[in-house]
Amino acid sequence: MNRIEIQYFAVLRERAGTGRETVDTAAATAAELYDELSARHDFGLPRGMLRVAVNDEFADWSRPLAAGDRVVFIPPVAGG
Amino acid sequence: MQAFSFSSAPLEPERYHAAIEDPSAGGYASFEGWVRDHNEGRTVERLEYEAFESLAVKEGERIVAEAVAKFGVTRAACVHRVGSLAIGDLAVWVGVSSAHRGEAFAACRYIIDEVKHRVPVWKKEHYTDGDSGWVNCERCAAAAHDHEHAHDHSHAHGHPQSHATGDFSSPEHEHAAPVQHDYSRQIALPEVGRAGQAKLAAASVLVVGAGGLGVPVLQYLAVAGIGRIGIVDGDVIEASNLHRQPLYGIADVGRPKVAVAAERLRALNRDVRIETHETKATAANIDDLVTNYDLVVECTDNFRAKFLVSDAVVRALKPAVFASVHQYEGQVQVYRPLPHWPCLRCLWPEAPRDGMVGNCAEAGVLGPVPATLGALQAMQVLKRLLGLDAGEAPALVTVDLLSLETRRLIARRNPDCDHDHPGMPDHAASASAPLELEFATLAEAFESGLELVDIRETWERMHDPPGLQIPTHLPLSALVNGYLQFPTEGRYLIVCAHGVRSLSVTEQLRAQGLTEVYSLHGGLASLRS
Repeated sequence: MNRIEIQYFAVLRERAGTGRETVDTAAATAAELYDELSARHDFGLPRGMLRVAVNDEFADWSRPLAAGDRVVFIPPVAGG
Repeated sequence: MQAFSFSSAPLEPERYHAAIEDPSAGGYASFEGWVRDHNEGRTVERLEYEAFESLAVKEGERIVAEAVAKFGVTRAACVHRVGSLAIGDLAVWVGVSSAHRGEAFAACRYIIDEVKHRVPVWKKEHYTDGDSGWVNCERCAAAAHDHEHAHDHSHAHGHPQSHATGDFSSPEHEHAAPVQHDYSRQIALPEVGRAGQAKLAAASVLVVGAGGLGVPVLQYLAVAGIGRIGIVDGDVIEASNLHRQPLYGIADVGRPKVAVAAERLRALNRDVRIETHETKATAANIDDLVTNYDLVVECTDNFRAKFLVSDAVVRALKPAVFASVHQYEGQVQVYRPLPHWPCLRCLWPEAPRDGMVGNCAEAGVLGPVPATLGALQAMQVLKRLLGLDAGEAPALVTVDLLSLETRRLIARRNPDCDHDHPGMPDHAASASAPLELEFATLAEAFESGLELVDIRETWERMHDPPGLQIPTHLPLSALVNGYLQFPTEGRYLIVCAHGVRSLSVTEQLRAQGLTEVYSLHGGLASLRS
């Protein structure tokens, strides 16, 4: 299990009811982590519409996770 | 000859001219600054220049070297007088030789502007009334004086510059001169200076969208003295805009945004040329619009326009500044036409459809959120135009106005992005059949012979009893997640609350080959019961 710091933006923050949380997870990749959290918070947004950043850098969904990683899920926003 | 020097003897332009001649140079530009007979309303008889030479020479040499590097000219030099000078004496000389005239003029202008701004030279004026006084060098003056006009503080006075810098020499202008826009507080920044101000005055910026983000962008760019600003917006002002668009007032409701914005911006700064384009950005007009400006600021509230602008700036090799807000958050991204810089499509390969992520029309926002993000956009524009962004890596910056946290997420070019040949077809412009249909009542819509499909979420239907008359219900969230599929044939009218989501779905279905599918314009909110 890895302890991961997570931050949510925009609609994901609303669905999760929090801007950030720390989770202990067996997820090996960013994709697995999102699927796990999506099931828990009922995000209702497919991964393809989002981007993930790990340790302040945009990453592929296949990016492996390590303990202590800071993961940010970002949906595109369009308001102006 | 030395790149920069002082002379206590009268200047000899012919000698300097000969010294910077070069067989490879096809052009020569020079500037001469002369002692004039007045300053700030007082008649001047003669003056004395004094310099802190060791420091001043170093700074002067740096300026000339900068000009050579910046404009690629062949040779350049500057000589400044010190000592006692009479009216009409030559106070400063700049000469540049270069392969082409454009660089020669630009380098010459750069050198004199920067010398007057950065090189520590003081002068003592002797007035006809017998009085005398030391006048600060321009650098000190710009920083210290609150009320100076855009006014030439040195007596070095060249005719070509006189009008640009506010010359009040003619007697009839002595008291009637209009107040000039005063940029001294930004010119005082060592990184800006007169040369930076000249760059802003020479620049042109296109602002797409004159709403919550566009208003602060337009205001700050106009007062900063950007030479030419284009505004693209097809909307009229609505009362619900005012809380986040304080350039407009209650009396403006119903008027086109571009017209009101142009009036207000001209009142803010007469130096700026404002061009209005009263239209939405479309595939048909975006390339022409973008081509006519140096830089583009994307301030709309929808993905369609954002991607349209991103594709157009990639094609036109123009820099652009994007921003978006959602409730208490925002994102800013700068695009530069450099090989490793990502475009919007690099970041979001599956171009989001409007209304599918969050719901912009109904999400709500506090005015200072777009104001903050718009101000950040204006700052990125000034940084780019002034060259203050050297070494900055491409990134998406997120700002959370509740926690006051910002995050800079490093972004890279996506190798799979068809960055160089992009172009999402703009179905609204290219499709022969209209995407949207208008109906006065729900009954009329039923009579059209199209099958109505309600894509609102279940909770929305529950709050809207008349909408329940539409038997076919495919909630958008289920379509997006793939739990439900849209039929591959048939004739449909897609319906949502305000016509934003339904238009996105309609576009997507058209792209998938369904030809007889339409969106209810304005959504259920537009229908009479």
